[in-house]
Amino acid sequence: MSKHTLGLLAVALATLGASGARAAPPTEAELKALGQSLDSLGTRITRLQDLADVEIVQHAYGYYVDKAQWRSLADLFADDATLEIGGKGIFLGKKRVFEYMNTGLGPIGPHDGLLIDHQQFQCLPTINDDGLTASIRCIAFVMSSGGWGHNYYEDRFIKEDGVWKFKKLHGPFNMYGGYKEGWLDHVIVNTYPEKFPPWPDLPPSIIYLTYPSYYIEPFHYPNPVTGKPMPAPSPRAGGEAFGR
Amino acid sequence: MKLTLGVCLGLALCSNAYALDDAARFKALQIRVKALAEETAYVEAIDKIQRLGRAFGYYTDKGYFGEAADLFTEDGTFQWGADGVYKGKARIRELLTRHGGGSLKEPPGLPFGRLNLRMQLQPMVSISADGNSAHARWREWGLLGEYKKWASWGDAVMEDDYVRQNGVWKIAARRYYLNFEAPYAGGWAALKPGSGDGPSAVARDFPPDAPAPAYAAFPSLFVPPYHYAAGDVSALRSRAPFDLPRRPEDALGRLEALADAKELALARAQSVRAIENLQAMYGYFIDKGQWKRAAALFSRDATYEFGQSGVYVGGAHIERALSLMGPPGLEAGQLNNYVMVQPIIHISADNRTAKARWRSDVELSRAGKGRWGGGVYENEYVNDRGTWKFTQLHYYVTFWGDYDKGWAAQPIPMDPPSTTLPPDRPPTLLYQSFPKLQVVPYDYVNPVSGKPNAGE
Repeated sequence: MSKHTLGLLAVALATLGASGARAAPPTEAELKALGQSLDSLGTRITRLQDLADVEIVQHAYGYYVDKAQWRSLADLFADDATLEIGGKGIFLGKKRVFEYMNTGLGPIGPHDGLLIDHQQFQCLPTINDDGLTASIRCIAFVMSSGGWGHNYYEDRFIKEDGVWKFKKLHGPFNMYGGYKEGWLDHVIVNTYPEKFPPWPDLPPSIIYLTYPSYYIEPFHYPNPVTGKPMPAPSPRAGGEAFGR
Repeated sequence: MKLTLGVCLGLALCSNAYALDDAARFKALQIRVKALAEETAYVEAIDKIQRLGRAFGYYTDKGYFGEAADLFTEDGTFQWGADGVYKGKARIRELLTRHGGGSLKEPPGLPFGRLNLRMQLQPMVSISADGNSAHARWREWGLLGEYKKWASWGDAVMEDDYVRQNGVWKIAARRYYLNFEAPYAGGWAALKPGSGDGPSAVARDFPPDAPAPAYAAFPSLFVPPYHYAAGDVSALRSRAPFDLPRRPEDALGRLEALADAKELALARAQSVRAIENLQAMYGYFIDKGQWKRAAALFSRDATYEFGQSGVYVGGAHIERALSLMGPPGLEAGQLNNYVMVQPIIHISADNRTAKARWRSDVELSRAGKGRWGGGVYENEYVNDRGTWKFTQLHYYVTFWGDYDKGWAAQPIPMDPPSTTLPPDRPPTLLYQSFPKLQVVPYDYVNPVSGKPNAGE
C-alpha cells in the first residue's frame, strides 16, 4: 500500500472517528500555522519545478543547435543576456547571440551532409534562494561531420514573468578532435576572437588552453557533501586560466 | 471499512462525502499536509541523488579525486570492475587518482596530456520507504587517454547505495561494472574475448581490500545486477490522477483548496522523475536484450516505432519488434548500448499524460563490426493508476555510421520494415537518415517565447 493510500486511509479513519464526539473547531492561530506549512511546502515544490524548467531550457538549446535553428535558439535568451563560447570573446544581447550563431557557425537551418549534433549531458542545476536566478553545469558532447567535441556549460538563468531564460551562457571547451584518430593526436585547440567573424563585443573573460592542456571551469556549487567550495587547482600544465 | 475507503478514494477525498464538522476537517487536512511534506522530501531526495552522481563526474573529469571521494561516507566502498572492493575515503581517493592519472601529493588537477572525461548518464533512482537510503543505476561513458600515447572509449554501469546522514545524502557503496576500455582505433568491436578479464594494472600495484563478485567484461555477456526486482515499478510511481474537488467557501475550505493545488503540483514534479526513471529503466533492459522486461513497461495499446520499422501495437507485438535487434539476452560479442539522455519532459496539467523528447546515442557491435548511431525519441506516457507507462515510443534515426570509417565517410541507411516480423502499420513518416537531415517535430513550443517555432 502506497504512502498516499495510507494517508487517505488515515483521513478516512479520522473522519469516522470524528462523526461521534464533536471536537472544538480549529483556532485562527491553528489555521494560520497550517497555512504557513502549506506555503513553505509550496516554495519547495516550486523549486523542484524550477529545477526541471531550467534543465528544459538548456536541453532545448542543444536540440536547436542540432538543426541550426538560430532564431529559436536566440529566443531562449533574455534581451540583455551574454554569450561566450570557447575563446571567441563575449557577445552582448539577444541580437548578437543570433549573429554569433548565424555568422559564426553557419547559415540557418539544417543542411544535408552537415551533422552538428550538440548533445546536452549530465546537467546539474541549482536554484538560488531568491527563486529568480539559477545556475547550471552541463556537458555538451558533440558528434559532428568533423568528429568529436566535449565542452562544459556554466550558465546563468533569470526568471522573468515566471519564465526561465538564459542570462549568461558560457561554454568553455575541453577537447575537440577529428574522427580519424579521436583525441590521440592533432586535436583542435581553442578558438580566439579573430578566428572567424563576427567579432566579439568584449574580449574573452578568461584565456585558457584546451586538451592536451586543460582548464578547470569553476564549479558554481560547493561540494554537495562537505559544503566546501572547490580548492584551487594545481598551477601545472594550464590548470589555471590567465586573467582570473 | 474497505467500502468506506473505496468510496473515499472514488471521491478523491472524504471531506465532501460526510457532513464533517470543522474539527474533523482540520484534522484531516493536517494529516494531508504531513503526507505532502514526506512526498516533497521524496522528490527532493531523487534530485539530490542525481546531483551527487553528476558532481562526481565533474570532479573526476578534472582530477579533483579528493573531492570525489568526499562524496562517500567515511566507510564507503568502491568496487572497481573485477579488481575488487576498496574501503574508506582515503582508499577511494587513491583508487580514483591512480585510474585517472592525477597526483596524491599535489593540489587537484591532471598532468598535461591526460584525458579523463567520464560522463555520468541515465540515472535510475529508487528511494527507500523510510526516506533515509536510496539506490541508483548509472551509466558511465568515458573518453580516456594520454596525448600521442593512447586514446580509449570507456563503458561501465554503476549500481550505487546511498544513505542520508544528518540530513546529507552520501554515497555508501558504488559497484562500478566496467564493461570495456576499448582503444579508439578499432573500438569495442575489435576487443578479443577475455581481453577485459584479470586485474587491471592499477590493482596489481594497489591491491583491493576485498574481492569483487565474479563477472565477465565485454565481449562476454553480463548483466550487472539491478537494485530493482523484475516487475518492481516503485520508482515509476506518482500520485494517481485525481480531480480537484470543490471546497467550501470558508477559511478551512481555502486551505483545503490550497492543499489540493500543492498536491497536484508535487505530483507533477514527481512524475518528471518517474518518467526519467522509466526511460532509463527501458534503456538498461534494451542494452541487455531483455525484450520481455522492456515490453512490460508499455501500456496495453501502446505503439512502438523505430526509424522506418513501421508501427507495432501492443505488448506482444512490441516484444517481437524489439527482438529484431537480436535474440533474448543477446548473442556472444553483441553490444546493444542505447544511451538515454537530454530529456525534455512535459506533464499534462492534470498529471494524467506526458510527452517527452529524448536523445539516444547508440553503440553497437555484431560479428566483430562496430557501429555508431544517434537519434531523437518523441515519446508519450500515461499515468496508469499511479504508475507511469509508455503509450508511444518513437525513435527518429538521425544517423547510423560504420565505426571504422565514421558516419560522415560511411553512413548506413535505415532498415526498411521487416518482412519476417512485419509491423501492424506502415511508418508514420517517411524520411531518410544522414546524410539527409530533417527536424524531428517538437511536441512542445519554445520554452521561453512560447512560439511553436521561429520560422526555420
